Amino acid sequence: MKLFDPHIHMTSRTTADYEAMAAAGIAAVIEPAFWLGQPRTHVGSFEDYFASLVGWEPFRASQFGIRHFCTIALNPKEANDERLAAGVVALLPRYLAKDGVVAVGEVGYDEQTPIEDRWFAEQLALARRFGLPALVHTPHRDKKRGTERSLALVREVGFPEERVLIDHNNEETLPLVLRTGCWAGHSIYPNSKMDEPRMAALVRQYGSERILINSAADWGISDPLKVPKTVAVMRAQGIAEDTIEAIAWRNPVAFFAQSGRLVLDDAGGPPDAFAGNTVRRG
Amino acid sequence: MSDPAAMLAALLERRRPTAFATWLADASVASGAALNRVAFEIAFASAGRRFGTAAIGSGATVAGAGGRTWSIAGWGLDEAARALLVLGGVAALPAADQPAFVDGLYRAGALRERQAVLRALALLPDPARFCAIALDACRASAQPVFEAIACENPYPAAWFAEPSFNQMALKAVFTGVAVARILDLETRRTADLARMAADYAAERRAAGRPVPTDLALLAAP
Repeated sequence: MKLFDPHIHMTSRTTADYEAMAAAGIAAVIEPAFWLGQPRTHVGSFEDYFASLVGWEPFRASQFGIRHFCTIALNPKEANDERLAAGVVALLPRYLAKDGVVAVGEVGYDEQTPIEDRWFAEQLALARRFGLPALVHTPHRDKKRGTERSLALVREVGFPEERVLIDHNNEETLPLVLRTGCWAGHSIYPNSKMDEPRMAALVRQYGSERILINSAADWGISDPLKVPKTVAVMRAQGIAEDTIEAIAWRNPVAFFAQSGRLVLDDAGGPPDAFAGNTVRRG
Repeated sequence: MSDPAAMLAALLERRRPTAFATWLADASVASGAALNRVAFEIAFASAGRRFGTAAIGSGATVAGAGGRTWSIAGWGLDEAARALLVLGGVAALPAADQPAFVDGLYRAGALRERQAVLRALALLPDPARFCAIALDACRASAQPVFEAIACENPYPAAWFAEPSFNQMALKAVFTGVAVARILDLETRRTADLARMAADYAAERRAAGRPVPTDLALLAAP
């Protein structure tokens, strides 16, 4: 079974991670634009970050037979820096038109400030203009309220719900999302967010429709193999193969294919054969 | 439009008539009107989806201002389309604005966008002005970007200073690129390039590793 990790920050991972992910069956990844752990202080830092997400990182992934796509946005944490926000959003049209960009994201709420409201709504308008779906981050603090606000804002601006993926759900927020037309992502983490047995329990309760899983791995304690590990737990608990495949491959493909830019023809095939290339040479 | 632009336009119109019909107008470089930067960048970015990445195929050549003709058989249709836009965009701007415009397309470019800019450099007016972009690509670790300037491209032999050309030639061997793909290498073989090749061969022997056969091609015959 081919696996898809639709939310992973590969910029902060090593080539050993790419090798392990490919060996575990991960054929495609999506890297959402977010922050880098420490706030950036120049708009130019975002330019280089976005250029890397559409250039260097897809090349690095290709060396291990993994298809790399990305989402582009001003993230809700750094949206609160008024010295940056307008300048970063002004950059977005240039990047939102590019081939490997399959959604606007991560947008949404962090502290749920009025400034976050503004840039969330403005970036949904950009998603509409560029024919892209939207990937919505939900906050760590006051999560249920943040999820409700996100769903309310989507409805208020009239953005099509079937083109919205609300991410980082838990037992309390998943039913809220499934009551709308939005899709629901789950970040499987070593200690926080969601873990494998809890996820399997949610799948037994709610099925597979509009449900996705990801590792959300980044520079913190996290695990780029959480998608295959969650698949293993679901399988051990007797969840049907068809349900597992929907969650770990078909659903992320169906959601992001709404961009018209998810080209997967030979994903999971042999790595690009560059003799002596600079990443795999070692 | 210059001759290479007319040639690329004819080629794209023949191979992808439907895409071509609307795309140049969308890019705002069709009619000599003022360049709309946002429209241009969106058309530039969407070339892959409109034209696909199939190779142009054998027989296609293009000629630079100096009369040098070279094969573009290995270019993708998307690269030909983007090269055509670069030529059109540059033609629509005052000379003083052209280097920054091309540099911006390169720096914000996805992999294949960067490749297209690099392939177009030798077709631009006064190509020496774009040398910094070509040199940046020689430092790239993304191999397709390096190969877009180093291989099947007359730019380095025509415009690089000797140290830069030598570094690029040695990097080609180092990354497993066939030296035969470097255009006009025979005009740039020097004593220093031969010395660098000999030193690299000695380094490989000392490490007990095979010496790439192509190294010999860097020294004078």
